[in-house]
Amino acid sequence: MMIGVYRIGFLALLMVLWVVAADQFGRNIVPTPLATFEAAQRLIAEGRLQSAFRASLTVYLSGYALAVICAIPLGVLMGGFRVLGKTLEVYVFALSATPRVAFIPLIIVILGLGADAKIFIIFLGTLLPILINTYSGVMAVDEELVEMARSAGASQRRIFLSIVLPNAAPFVVTGMRLGAAIGLINTVVAELYTAVSGLGGLLAIYGNSFRMAEYFVVVICLAIIGVVVTEALRHVEARLVRWRGAT
Amino acid sequence: MTGPRGNSTGGASDASPAILFDNVSRTFTTAGRRAAVPAIRDLSFTVEPATFVALLGPSGCGKTTILRIVDGLLQGDTGRVEVFGAPPKPGPDIGFVFQNFRLIPWANVQDNVEFGLKSMPLTRAERRERADHHLELVGLSTFRHAYPGELSGGMKQRVALARALATEPGILLMDEPFASIDAHTRELMQIELMRIWTVRRPVVLFVTHSVDEAIILADRIMLLSPRPARVIESFDVELERPRWTYDARAEPRYVELRSYLSDRMRELVVSDPASEFFGRDLVPPRGR
Ligand SMILES: Nc1ncnc2c1ncn2[C@@H]1O[C@H](COP(=O)(O)OP(=O)(O)OP(=O)(O)O)[C@@H](O)[C@H]1O
Ligand SMILES: [Mg+2]
Repeated sequence: MMIGVYRIGFLALLMVLWVVAADQFGRNIVPTPLATFEAAQRLIAEGRLQSAFRASLTVYLSGYALAVICAIPLGVLMGGFRVLGKTLEVYVFALSATPRVAFIPLIIVILGLGADAKIFIIFLGTLLPILINTYSGVMAVDEELVEMARSAGASQRRIFLSIVLPNAAPFVVTGMRLGAAIGLINTVVAELYTAVSGLGGLLAIYGNSFRMAEYFVVVICLAIIGVVVTEALRHVEARLVRWRGAT
Repeated sequence: MTGPRGNSTGGASDASPAILFDNVSRTFTTAGRRAAVPAIRDLSFTVEPATFVALLGPSGCGKTTILRIVDGLLQGDTGRVEVFGAPPKPGPDIGFVFQNFRLIPWANVQDNVEFGLKSMPLTRAERRERADHHLELVGLSTFRHAYPGELSGGMKQRVALARALATEPGILLMDEPFASIDAHTRELMQIELMRIWTVRRPVVLFVTHSVDEAIILADRIMLLSPRPARVIESFDVELERPRWTYDARAEPRYVELRSYLSDRMRELVVSDPASEFFGRDLVPPRGR
């Protein structure tokens, strides 16, 4: 309860800093909160913000969903079949250590500048954290619990469903949360490097033309998407490990 | 001192034994360590049906390993093991109370107790009824919705006990099942166990470090050597059952057996070159 008050207090402090910064750097560089608010109203009235928001969200969620659909089963298979896991893991770790923006020129050559390329860039950024976390989650199973289940006469299938997967679930959601954050970064990167569109596109347009109030509106929008998605996943995560905090 | 030995293999010889170990050895090799650890070597013993056996032996001698082999969770490297005439196979007919509880942390008490029951052809209602019954038996009915993380060590151990009892197994493997339970509850649990045993007569292999617990519960006590485990001595405990109806501890036979076993246990540890207490001059207390 008290923490909520502190948080609101800190927000007020940030607003004060914002006003001070606007005053110090000049309004052309850091717009005032009021100017930013007015810019937001303008952008919404024109409908530009909504359409950019929709465009960004569409590629973001498409790429993210695709990554989730591929990464979780693949991670489960790699964890479940040790030979497969041992075979693939070196490549997975190598790929995750490579800055994946390096692939953007190649992706553009193959997929063009449209939505496909954007979705793939997001997919590529999101896939690995989910995959690696799912894989570790499946492998982090408590062998003593597995032995207990075997002792109780549980089949391999039941052991997998009732011991291995529930144990992995919090890891998977952590991976999804990390992936969501990286996916949002890649959304902006994709929109800057391929056909300019969405919120990333607006960022480029307003940034290059020094319309800083509009620019700030876009930044805040991106922050809101990021916060909403990761907080929702954090909530899921907390629910999954409720039994752990139950002491 | 002469030991109060009974005939070690028990009476019944016509029926096939419930558990048979014939020259069983098992060695563990740990990756990264050069020396292989022989946990049991050339171990032979039999357990007749409807017998309560206590395994008494120094720490690390291989008791848990023996139970895991009986359950079919682990195979011996050499030798022959039979449970009711067949190679052991894990399942609801062999109940295992693990030394370290092994409760499923994300499942509540009720679901933990029902875990083994799900391997049996029971309806949901029947499972529930059995779980309820055994939770009541261990005195945890009011905690059925709690998660293991919310329970004390002794409570966790009782949940593990209820889980193993719930399938009403023909063989019950108990690995120091009362070690973390307070003395008072422990005595109640011992009596409950004896009651259950009197009714259904499962074969019990009961690992304990407590000489008293072994004497009060068992038909037969097998004294194991330091690692690798061998059966050094095997005693029949000739105290009348049911033992909770009178003060068995006051019986001369109890007192004699207790002091003999305590001495033997101490001797085993002091004369084991691998023990940290090797060669210590521990004078056995006299006077009981
Ligand atoms: N999975 C394993 N890998 C390697 N060594 C093992 C393994 N299990 C047991 N051992 C070794 O085998 C020996 C016997 O172990 P075991 O657990 O059977 O002893 P115990 O009699 O149950 O001991 P305690 O009374 O302390 O529970 C020990 O020295 C132990 O280090
Ligand atoms: Mg043990």
